[in-house]
Amino acid sequence: MVWLVVFFGGSAVSCTNREDAWLRIQETKVLRVGLDPTYPPFEQLENDRLVGLDVDLAQAIATDLGLTAEFVYFGYDGLYDALATEQVDVLISALVVAPERGRDFAFSEPYFNAGQILIVPQAEKDIEDMRDLNGRILAVELGAQGHVEAITWQRQLPEMDVQPYNTADEALTAVATGKADAALVDAVSGRLFIRHEPSLRRLPTPVTVEPYAIVTRIEDRLLLENINQSLETLQQTGKLDTIITHWLDN
Amino acid sequence: MITSRTTLQFATGWRLLLVALLLPLLQPPPVLITPGPPQTVHTTHPILGVHTRLTDEVEEWKIQRTLQMVREMGAGWIVEFFPWAYYHAENGNIAWQHPDLVVEHAHAQGLRIIARLGLTPEWARPPDTPLTYLDETAYDDFATFAAAFAARYRGKVQYMIIGNEPNLSYEWGYRATTPADYVALLKVVYPAIKAANPDMVVLAGALAPTLEPPGSPWGLNDLLYLQGMYEAGAADYFDGLAVHAYGLTFPPEIEPAPDLLNFRRVELVREVMVANGDAETSIFITETGWNDHPRWTRAVRPGQRIAYTLDAIRYAEVNWPYVEMMAIWAFRFPAPTRSYMDYYTLVTPEFVPKPIYEALQAFTGNG
Repeated sequence: MVWLVVFFGGSAVSCTNREDAWLRIQETKVLRVGLDPTYPPFEQLENDRLVGLDVDLAQAIATDLGLTAEFVYFGYDGLYDALATEQVDVLISALVVAPERGRDFAFSEPYFNAGQILIVPQAEKDIEDMRDLNGRILAVELGAQGHVEAITWQRQLPEMDVQPYNTADEALTAVATGKADAALVDAVSGRLFIRHEPSLRRLPTPVTVEPYAIVTRIEDRLLLENINQSLETLQQTGKLDTIITHWLDN
Repeated sequence: MITSRTTLQFATGWRLLLVALLLPLLQPPPVLITPGPPQTVHTTHPILGVHTRLTDEVEEWKIQRTLQMVREMGAGWIVEFFPWAYYHAENGNIAWQHPDLVVEHAHAQGLRIIARLGLTPEWARPPDTPLTYLDETAYDDFATFAAAFAARYRGKVQYMIIGNEPNLSYEWGYRATTPADYVALLKVVYPAIKAANPDMVVLAGALAPTLEPPGSPWGLNDLLYLQGMYEAGAADYFDGLAVHAYGLTFPPEIEPAPDLLNFRRVELVREVMVANGDAETSIFITETGWNDHPRWTRAVRPGQRIAYTLDAIRYAEVNWPYVEMMAIWAFRFPAPTRSYMDYYTLVTPEFVPKPIYEALQAFTGNG
């Protein structure tokens, strides 16, 4: 299996005995942001123009900190190596908090939960969470995390009928057309689908948590502090919600 | 007042002592885990195996549960890694406890075991070299361990792989990798294993699929490397060839090509073997599979992963009589890696079978 790691992944290299990146960033006024622009709507290239939720978030943070965001592209597997080798200052690329990487990297407060959510018809009032699905039909994408989660719940809900579909959109269509009572899908797929399908709504409490966060090198404590402060500001002012809503709900 | 306080403190102290003495008695006794009666794998696809990852699994019940689930899925083979560096002390002592657990439980489940050996102890390599560094000064030490392993597990472990992906420099201690160096290792280890256990089937490889050209610091094209192995006289020093065959984003039936990494690259490996007069030697695919990470560029959708995996097994059974076994990477990790690697597995760390597990279970007639 190592061949994949060597050619498509690589191993992280820890850098020590260096000053906090925040000090240099304050001098240059540039925040170098690493991302993989192949994951819409978080980051993608549209006619060579970089757009997406993470792009807007990075620019909002940079503005809040009095900086300019400079974007550097990497393959998904090379993101952490790029950060470890100081090619960028932070990663803002829909990355899930990974405690196992805590020796080399630090994670900001989460800015988005991409975990599994339940989508139900607008008129459905009896389903508030997974426990209400016994005796009901739950649509999932075949083999996806929602499917795995549904199998786990079936231990507690033996009367729940789990119906797999080839894609998340097909599972959601099954709910819209009355073939299923609910769909369990990831938050991104679910939100993107229901913005064009007003007969459906998402339940407010997520079934699972998959938090996206900004990543810094472990030694860049000042930078992380400033990122977290900025995230808090964006949250308090409603800017973060505006960005998320723009890309996922509007 | 002082006397009362002293008395109170004395009484409290006795109570605490009593509690400290009684607490261990309240703990449940340790769970006794035994391999249990011998089991048999029932399967309609005897070619199917899995690469388990029990090397880092500490708790015995998890080892047992993993292997039970492998059997229940209808896979008759496991490939498991036994790191030399973990077990063999410089004074010659070998800590067999953990490999014993894995081998005993796998044997009890009726599974055939392909043991992959590798990683060099610190005492057997120069200072500041990585675990994958193994040079000729330690070949005899490695052979000693391999022979001891072969002898100890005679009748329970039937196959051994010498090293892993030697055509990658990472797996060769970050040195330039040459077929001749690896064949020199085989020439020392193979006879030692055979002397200790003539029944052991020794596999060479497992070669990593790669297009790296000669002179690359990363590795060497697996087809060129295999040809180099034959030219260095490898043929008499292995009984089977271990190969890794990943599908990446391609369906399994896509034609192979020298400049393409896909599942059917195995056929090009086979061509090299036949061209070197080694048609009678079997191939063992010790890693294969597809990945269904939501955003990894070399992944497919979960439904495709299931379909491709089943189609690949059918394809190998029909078209590759020279392939004895194909092991899906990877059955389960002890803990999540929180990367695309998690999306190769068939079972979660919490032992929840993924839909692909259930599809394979039904495929083998166990659903």
